[in-house]
Amino acid sequence: MFRKILIANRGEIALRVIWACKELGIKTVAVHSTADADSLHVNFADEAVCIGPPASRDSYLNVSAVIAAAEITGAEAIHPGYGFLSENAHFAEVCRECRLTFIGPGPDVIRKMGDKAAARDAMKAAGVPVIPGSDGLVRDAEHALALAAEIGYPVLIKASAGGGGRGMRVVRSADEMSRHFEGAQNESAGAFGVADVYLEKYLEHPRHVEFQVLGDTHGNLLHLFERECSIQRRHQKLVEESPSTALDDALRASMAEAALRAARSADYVNAGTVEFLLDAERNFYFIEMNTRIQVEHPVTEVVTGIDLIKEQIRIAAGEPISFTQDDVRINGHAIECRVNAEDPETFAPSPGRIRTFHPPGGPGVRVDTHCHSEAFVPPYYDSMIAKVIARGNTRGEAILRMRRALESFVIEGIRSNISLQQRIVSEEDFVRGRIHTGFMERFAPPPKKRAAD
Amino acid sequence: MPGAAEVTLESKEIHELIEILSRSSLTTLEIEREGFRLRLEKSPPEGHVPTYVVRTAEAMPPTVTAIPPAMVAPVPVPATAASAEDAALAVDDGLIELRSPFVGTFYRAPSPDSPPFVEIGGKVRKGQVVCIVEAMKLMNEIEAEIEGEVVDILAKNGQPVEYGEILFRLRPL
Repeated sequence: MFRKILIANRGEIALRVIWACKELGIKTVAVHSTADADSLHVNFADEAVCIGPPASRDSYLNVSAVIAAAEITGAEAIHPGYGFLSENAHFAEVCRECRLTFIGPGPDVIRKMGDKAAARDAMKAAGVPVIPGSDGLVRDAEHALALAAEIGYPVLIKASAGGGGRGMRVVRSADEMSRHFEGAQNESAGAFGVADVYLEKYLEHPRHVEFQVLGDTHGNLLHLFERECSIQRRHQKLVEESPSTALDDALRASMAEAALRAARSADYVNAGTVEFLLDAERNFYFIEMNTRIQVEHPVTEVVTGIDLIKEQIRIAAGEPISFTQDDVRINGHAIECRVNAEDPETFAPSPGRIRTFHPPGGPGVRVDTHCHSEAFVPPYYDSMIAKVIARGNTRGEAILRMRRALESFVIEGIRSNISLQQRIVSEEDFVRGRIHTGFMERFAPPPKKRAAD
Repeated sequence: MPGAAEVTLESKEIHELIEILSRSSLTTLEIEREGFRLRLEKSPPEGHVPTYVVRTAEAMPPTVTAIPPAMVAPVPVPATAASAEDAALAVDDGLIELRSPFVGTFYRAPSPDSPPFVEIGGKVRKGQVVCIVEAMKLMNEIEAEIEGEVVDILAKNGQPVEYGEILFRLRPL
């Protein structure tokens, strides 16, 4: 086992890794920018090293600064958390060259899964269902028409260099094709400098269901069931839960089997997540594999009783996974709400000094946070300031606990999205489990006039 | 304690001062009355290098105390905070702080057998190499950005240093 681990991250996940290390008897090294000098991960780690100015590219994304910090403190392994360097194959390679253990999969796996087209090809070859599409670039509108006739409308035209919805067009019938094809090409050329587009089946209101997997260096590979993460805004997840209300035992078993096949085809080691879209006809399609611990990992921990961070560290140290597939059971139901420093209606970020911070507690409530009264939320990083996880023996109990937890969560000095989260968990569609990736459209700004409570 | 109330600010007044500070462009507000001193600080804007302290809960592990044979040619790097724009860093006594531009290991000499680049009391020219900070096997030569006299050397040879850590204090000439 490692004697000392450096945590190349900040915020709640840095603290989460510190807690795991403390329980395993491992010393910790925090790294931080000048903006985070007073933050809790700096205070609770055994050692702390300032690695740069506030801008992430000069501190938390600065590979040589992070490696130098590990070298001067004598750390043996680096936990990258999520975001920042966690899915950076180059960083994982540099760690290897510098004889530091990167707590995650190898650089080749990170690179392969990070390249969407390569990952899709690998999954197809492994027999994992992928969204039907063009398998490469579409030459012209005629080519697109032929493909769409094969796949069936609606279809989506996507910029190959794309992201953030730019260069993306939904085509619902053949007579719309030429207009949207050219539109997507022009938009792509304007935004990314390349007009290359591809085409795939468009899923109307799918659910986002992902499977947690764990692999070790002894050839063991197993899954820890699913997380439903359909409640998203601009591809940012807001509420996650486990288990999903959309899965019965048969569908759960076949999706888990596909997730394991996906991970096995990559010889996956450490914690990873296989993400699927699930349509109303119970068809599921691989979208991507995340090669890191995820923000929403606590819902899995709460229903399975397994500490994923400790398991990641043990696996990286060369130990076998400490349990078998048969030991993994879902016990009860867990929901996570992400609390962000942002306006609940306009979604504008709200950094600044927190005056009052009273997190909820009581039976079945877990809060992962790095914030406290008088903490400063810097404007340079992610706006997430806390995760509230509520567990119940049933989904209903978990929802009721989440509601009272959000009600007693007091944050003053900055704005937070707690009131938005309260509205989400009070929606009838949410309570009935009728959710999909378009769920948040009802809360789009400017907000509709709300009825008086 | 008798009389203590006379020199203590009401908490409401302190709250008001905090509000004034948070709205202003100032980063520090200091008030002194007889036997009472209040100092308020807020996080400085980006670009300003604040002072802070290296904190370790245990002794730093032993590091190489002499530079290993140069593996890579040294790269000259201007020190972080000695530039004119950081004139604000000049402390009250007129000294300029020279800070480490990155994390690494501090060396005072170009090789284990060489004399140090500078000594206390010595004069440095603008652009003169004053030390080396090694990061990832790269020897980065740190240059003085002003002409001055070395008043203080705060880092020890072979010691790990953080980004922004004060290495030298110079008196401008």
